[in-house]
Parts: sequence; C-alpha cells; structure tokens
Amino acid sequence: MKPASTLSSAFLTPGGQSLPQPLLDLRAQRGTALADMPLPTRKTENWKYSSRHLKLSEELASALPTSGKCGPALAVPGYHVVFHNGVIVPEACELPDQSGITIQPFAELDDSLAAELAERLDNTLDAEAAQLARLNSARFEDGLYIRLAPDAVLDQPLFIISQTDASCSGSAYPRLYVDAGRHSQLTLVEEYISSGDQPALVNAVSEFTLAEGAQVTSVRLSAEGENVQHVGATGVRQQAHSRFDSHCVGFGGPMRRHDLQVRLEQSGANCRLNGVVVTQGQQHYDNHTVIEHVAPHCDSEETYRNIAAGQSHAVFNGRIHIHQDAQKSNANMSNKNLLLSTGAEIDTKPELEIYADDVKCAHGATIGQLDKQSIFYLVSRGVSRHEANTLLTMAFINELVQQIPVESVRETTQIRLNQFFETTFEEA
Amino acid sequence: MLSIKNLHASVEGKEILKGINLEINPGEVHAIMGPNGSGKSTLSQVLAGNEAYEVTSGEVLFNGENLLDKETEERAREGIFLAFQYPVEIPGVSNLQFLRTAVNAKRKHLGEPEMNAAEFMKLAREVSKQVDLNPDFLKRGVNEGFSGGEKKRNEIMQALLLQPKLAILDETDSGLDIDALKVASDGVNALRSADRAILMVTHYQRLLNHIVPDHVHVLAGGRIIKSGGRELALELEEKGYGWLGIKDEDDAPVAG
Ligand SMILES: Nc1ncnc2c1ncn2[C@@H]1O[C@H](COP(=O)(O)OP(=O)(O)O)[C@@H](O)[C@H]1O
Ligand SMILES: [Mg+2]
Repeated sequence: MKPASTLSSAFLTPGGQSLPQPLLDLRAQRGTALADMPLPTRKTENWKYSSRHLKLSEELASALPTSGKCGPALAVPGYHVVFHNGVIVPEACELPDQSGITIQPFAELDDSLAAELAERLDNTLDAEAAQLARLNSARFEDGLYIRLAPDAVLDQPLFIISQTDASCSGSAYPRLYVDAGRHSQLTLVEEYISSGDQPALVNAVSEFTLAEGAQVTSVRLSAEGENVQHVGATGVRQQAHSRFDSHCVGFGGPMRRHDLQVRLEQSGANCRLNGVVVTQGQQHYDNHTVIEHVAPHCDSEETYRNIAAGQSHAVFNGRIHIHQDAQKSNANMSNKNLLLSTGAEIDTKPELEIYADDVKCAHGATIGQLDKQSIFYLVSRGVSRHEANTLLTMAFINELVQQIPVESVRETTQIRLNQFFETTFEEA
Repeated sequence: MLSIKNLHASVEGKEILKGINLEINPGEVHAIMGPNGSGKSTLSQVLAGNEAYEVTSGEVLFNGENLLDKETEERAREGIFLAFQYPVEIPGVSNLQFLRTAVNAKRKHLGEPEMNAAEFMKLAREVSKQVDLNPDFLKRGVNEGFSGGEKKRNEIMQALLLQPKLAILDETDSGLDIDALKVASDGVNALRSADRAILMVTHYQRLLNHIVPDHVHVLAGGRIIKSGGRELALELEEKGYGWLGIKDEDDAPVAG
C-alpha cells in the first residue's frame, strides 16, 4: 500500500508574530506535533467522503496577507468584530461597553490571560476526530477572546464576520474562544464570507465553554465563494443546566467541512443543534457532529437537513455517545435529505453508542425527492414549476430557517436560498 | 368551450379511457356518473394535465385551442380547474402563500396587476367564510391535517378564488356530511354563470339534488354509454347501475 501523504511542511510555518508569548509558544508546540501529520484519505473513517475534496496544495500554505483593513464596508447592525484573513481589524469593530463582558483580540491579551488561554485552547475538541483543528492551533495569527462574567447578559447579538480576501492564494485561520460564566447569556453569529477568486483555504476553529446555567446561542453561516475551501470545527463543553443552541447554515463549495462536538458534562445541560445545508453544481458539504452525553439528566435535540442539486454531494455524520453514567439522557436526532437531481448524492450516517440503560434515544434519517403529486397539485392551480419546486424545497427547511433567532441572518439566508432556487430550478 | 373527441388514455400501459366524446358549452353543468374504476378520475386528471396519464389518441379542444399541447400550469391560468378527489397534503407550504402564488400567477398571465399580501388576505378571508372554513386554515400547511370534508371545501374555496372557466369537480361530494354537502354545493352554485361551465364527476347522485345538472352522462369501462338530462340521474338512483348492465365494483346502492 502506498504510504499516506503527509501535510506539507510549508503549512507549518506560521505567519504574523504579533501574539502574546504564551500563545506563540502554544502555536509552535502544535506545529511541531503536526510534523508529518498524515492527510486524511478515503480510508480515514471520518473523512471517507471528503478526503478527495480536500486539496491542501502548497500554494495554499502561505498565510493570506493581512492589510489590517477590511474589504467593502459591512452593513452589520449592532455589535460586530471583523476578521480579515484571520486577523481582527480593530477599527472595523463595534463592541459593547458593558461591565462583565470582555471581548478582546488574542493579540491584545496581557501575558497572564494569554497564558491561561493557552492552557485552555483545544480542550473542547477531540484531536483525533477533528484533526485539522490542530492545524488552526499551529497557524492562528489572531483570535477573538470573549469572557462573560457570572450573570452577564449581552444585550444584542454579536456578529463575527470572517472575511477571506482571496485576491491571492493562501490560507486563513480565524479563531474564537468563548468563556461563558455562570448564568451568563450570549448570542453570537459567525459569518464566513469571501472576496477574490484565487484558491484559498479557511481553517476556522471556535470553542465554547459554558459554566453552570449559561445560555449561548450560536449561529453559523458558511457562505464563502467557489474558490474557497472551508474546514471548520466548533467545540463545546457544558456544565450543569447550561444551554447551547446552535444554528448552522451552510452553502456548498469545492470543500466544506464542519465538525461540531458538544460535551454535556454535568447534569441538566442541554443542547439543540440545527443544521441546514444546500449544495449544487459540483459542490461538497460535510457535517460531522458528535454529542457526548457524559453526565445524567442531559438533553440533546439535533435536526439537520441537506438539500443537494446538480452533481453535488452532501454528507451528514451524526454521532451520539451516551456514557455509562449518563442515565436519564434524552437524545433525539433527525436527519432528512432531499435530492433535487439524479446526479446528486447524499450520505447520511447516524451513529449511536449507548452505554447507559435508562435513556431515551431516537434517531431517524431519510433521503427523498420532491413529491410528484405535490408538484402536480401546485401547478394545477397555475403555479409555475419553478415556483412549485421552490415552495416544496423551502418547505423542507423552512422550520429550521424560521428558528434562527436573528432576523438579519434569516434574511441573508433567504436571499442566498433564493439564489440557489434561481439557479437550480430553470424557469419554465 | 370544451370539446373531447375520441379520447383514449392509459396509465402504466393499461388503457383506461377508450374513446370519450363530450361537448360542453359555456353556462352548462354536466355530470358524469359511473361506478368506481370506470375512469372518472382518469378523465379529470387527463384534462388537468397529469403526466402520469398518457393520452394515446384523440383530441381535446378548449376554447378552440388544443388543450393537450399545453402544460398543466398554462391550462390552469387559462381557466381549467380541477377539484381533486384526493387533495394533496403539503406540510410546510402555507395555504395562504400557495393560494396567493396561484392567484397572482393567473393574474399575471391575464395581464392583470398582482395582489399584494394585504389585498389577498382580505379576499381569502371572505372566500373562506363562504365555504365555512375558519380563516385560520389559511395559515396552516396546504391541506395539512384537514379532515376529508375540510379538504373538499378547500378545493371549492380555491375554485372561488381562481374563478375558472371550466371547473371539474371530482367526487367533491364524497366524505361530506349533509351540512358540509350543502356548504360545498352552495359554493359550486355560486360558481354557476353564463360564461362558466361545470363538469361534476360523481359516483352517487346525491350531489345532483343540490346542483342540478343540464346534462348527465354515464361512464362505464372507459366509454360514455348513455347521455341524457337530469332525469337520467334520477333513473340511475332508482334502478342502480345494474339497470344499464354495468357491474358496480362497490356493490353499494347508487342513492346517497
Ligand atoms: N395512477 C394510477 N396508477 C395505476 N392505475 C390507475 C391509476 N389511476 C387509475 N388507475 C386505474 O384506472 C382505472 C380507473 O380509475 P379511476 O379513473 O380512478 O376511476 P374512478 O375515478 O372512476 O373510480 C382503475 O382500474 C384504476 O385502478
Ligand atoms: Mg375517482
């Protein structure tokens, strides 16, 4: 057997050095550990369907230049932080001025806080299941650190706009760390967008730790261009009675991957994970989620929908692991898939591992097409085929779109979906 | 208005319609009666343009134009309406959104201005009352969780909204209790006008007590074997399909 190819050493040379020393040290250490990291292949179980889409060619190794400025002015309402090629642009940010809420670029952290952070980074993610997240740790040039003191409540959503400017080829490594104190509350929106048309790689990692009773709503919109590969990971650890509410919306690209790992570590913690993915043309999107029910009396509710058109390919792999002590766990997972063409492909795999005996665990996965009778019913009333297809496809995901708790994200999502419908369903 | 000549149609390779001839003029109400399996729904679906049914020969003219050449949506916009025997449930698409899209598609086709959400809401509320449906139904998914009777009244409501030239009603009476039958028939009677034709398809004659047809046809084995005035329906009620030598799969009395 041919030896697996390894990550080019070019990828292990970080760019910008303007980070506090403890973070530079962490980065160097992660880089050393990644030397000769085998790249995922078809035989790598959790990369079975995606390895051939991941193209880590040398031209992507260098860090995308950061001009310190962002692209066209962003009309973002409310609080926002802008990453430009993985580095925060302070002048483009608008931050809350609320006591108990710390929002700072990694680059501006003092050494003691940076040292504390260095200890905690990567702790929410399983290194084996999210291998490429470690590449982010070896490469990040900046990051956003958010800490909410106990009982602090951010009064509006915080948008984190991660802009990739691919006017030349290279890679960017945006990083986020959220430390939500006891009974604090936060709604955070991560938006990944791009400009330029050169090949680029975005490797984004976000980590959340929720202390007792904390409530975090995370909205993630992945909408970069056709020249951008995106490999992202989100890690979450939850203490007692905390709530993590996740809404991921993904539009396909040459390579899209999101690993979402949630650990319910203390009794009463609960999470809801919603996901919507649409792909068309030759696009690819792969969602891998893991929910670890570590403690008893935790609930998880997961609902993912994939829609694939053209020759595109969507993957959902949802693992629920109920540990031996996690009695009275409640876990629900639903994954429904819609194929809009005969050339499209969807692979779905629920994985349940249950070691406790007193649990409620339900899962279901379906793959289907638009119902011909329904289309006929609609067009028999004069509705165009285009509109009938659009109505039925929208019906498949509408509930999840409506559950996104931030209006402007619902709007952006709808606009992008309309573009998807326009190009997928020809006008009769 | 509608002229069907020697129409043959099959489904999954099996011939169901074996030479239908029928002339319908504006203002007329026709009833097609026949036992289960005689091809009544097949005829209705063929006229509406369901591609699951293949027309193998014959011709259908609608206002002088070849109907069979047109797409389903085009037929609808030009005035064909089919009230389904089994209306389809479409969860996730709201009735209101669906109906407004349909009404506006037709208005656009006729060069009329589209209705905005508020205008349409007003109209839809009025019409829903006319068929005794709570306007809350408008917010629900299309036919989602509707009872049999509610589905049928929703079909009539759609006809009232779309104001077709030819309304084909496929077993609109089945599954309705006496009161609902009255409401549905009132809706249909409200559609009657000098420039509109109605084709009622039914197994039983009880609907015909409420909506009096000008012409009655008996369909059996894919052919119209007898035509007459409304007295033909009454005669059928009295004597059953056996009178015409037809076997009724249902064995049920014709009277409803
Ligand atoms: N979609 C279909 N697929 C297969 N057979 C069908 C289909 N629709 C109708 N048929 C057959 O065609 C015949 C006529 O059916 P139909 O037109 O529904 O009769 P009616 O409405 O008079 O009861 C029946 O034998 C029925 O089984
Ligand atoms: Mg029938």
